[in-house]
Amino acid sequence: MPAVSEDDRVLVAEYVLGLLPPAEHPRMAARLAAEPALRAEQRLWTLRLASLDREFVEASAPAAVMPRIEARLFGTSARTSFWDSLALWRGIAAGAVAVAVIAIGFNVLNPRPDPRQFAEQLVAALQDQGSGVSFVAVYDSATGSVRLTALTGAPVPEKDYELWAIQGGQTISMGVVPVDRKVDVKLPVTVAPGFGAGTVLAVTLEQKGGSPTGVAQGPIVAVGTATLI
Amino acid sequence: MTPGADEIAALIGRCALRDRQAFRDLYARTSSKLFGVTLRILRDRSEAEEALQEVYVKIWQRSDRYVAGGYSPISWLVAIARNHALDILRARKPASEDIDVALDVADAAPDPEQAAADAGERARIDACLDELESDRAGAVRGAYLDGYSYEELATRYSVPLNTMRTWLRRSLLKLRECLS
Repeated sequence: MPAVSEDDRVLVAEYVLGLLPPAEHPRMAARLAAEPALRAEQRLWTLRLASLDREFVEASAPAAVMPRIEARLFGTSARTSFWDSLALWRGIAAGAVAVAVIAIGFNVLNPRPDPRQFAEQLVAALQDQGSGVSFVAVYDSATGSVRLTALTGAPVPEKDYELWAIQGGQTISMGVVPVDRKVDVKLPVTVAPGFGAGTVLAVTLEQKGGSPTGVAQGPIVAVGTATLI
Repeated sequence: MTPGADEIAALIGRCALRDRQAFRDLYARTSSKLFGVTLRILRDRSEAEEALQEVYVKIWQRSDRYVAGGYSPISWLVAIARNHALDILRARKPASEDIDVALDVADAAPDPEQAAADAGERARIDACLDELESDRAGAVRGAYLDGYSYEELATRYSVPLNTMRTWLRRSLLKLRECLS
């Protein structure tokens, strides 16, 4: 790394302190981007001056600020459509087991006149594994598709979420899935024969386009077991 | 690292995974500190509030750029708030150019070996500032903590602008020598 001249040392210190005139500040920023030796100098000043950070005295921010930040970043939380209601889907996810129990109980008491009229339905609540991402999956044998709805979570730049079916000791990719809209995922032929109650659905965070190897490489962000309803 | 630094780092990491609850927790834990920064530098409550809002939008958007082992997480957050407030100060002046340089300080590649040495180095600045004449140490603090320009420092210490500039540049070189 080339030696940094005294003048440049002073300039970098002035840059970090915010002392450069407004016109010179972006010029220094451009030089820093191009010259690693200057960046090392910048790092030294930044780290050492950071010990002064404790002298900033805390001040409670007004309560109105956070709602404005959330509105900017996430849009308003007031959704109008019933089926788009996050609260509804969250409720379904949380109550999936209860729903299954009630549905089975109901069916025992009131046998269907002709079970063949009804398609088999499965539901899985893919619970957040500390990632803040969760889904509910509903399978309808009439369509052979899993309808996947993200309850929480948001897209990650340069990454994709990938859905996996775990059954019979195998983990099989069901493809890349979005978190910002509902999606119907057709059961792949490799999954369909073994798919049913007890199949585990998992979502991992993978590189853009999904795992290139067919084996999950990223962390599991959500997981849940399919239950008959 | 200050107590709770690991938790703050974990919250930033979860923000990178788009975890909104983690973002709310991060805000609850750190907004008083960052509001303290924008308030002190901007010296205007409504501007400081506006700035705080922008700062957390940036934190959410750039959370994937925080790498543990680089800066302490609190320093990383303070740097975003401080640089944003300084950008606003510069924008108040007519010659300003609209370039967002608020995060470049925080984008330096992490260096684990360096990080281990950082704690000791951070403590050293106090001793080094003590070696400067108190006026000059005060000017360095004023620039860092209050965002004072050379003009403001010259007025505060009642010296001509060029004198202040010469003073402070010499002090920075002395400080640099003491710190390395």
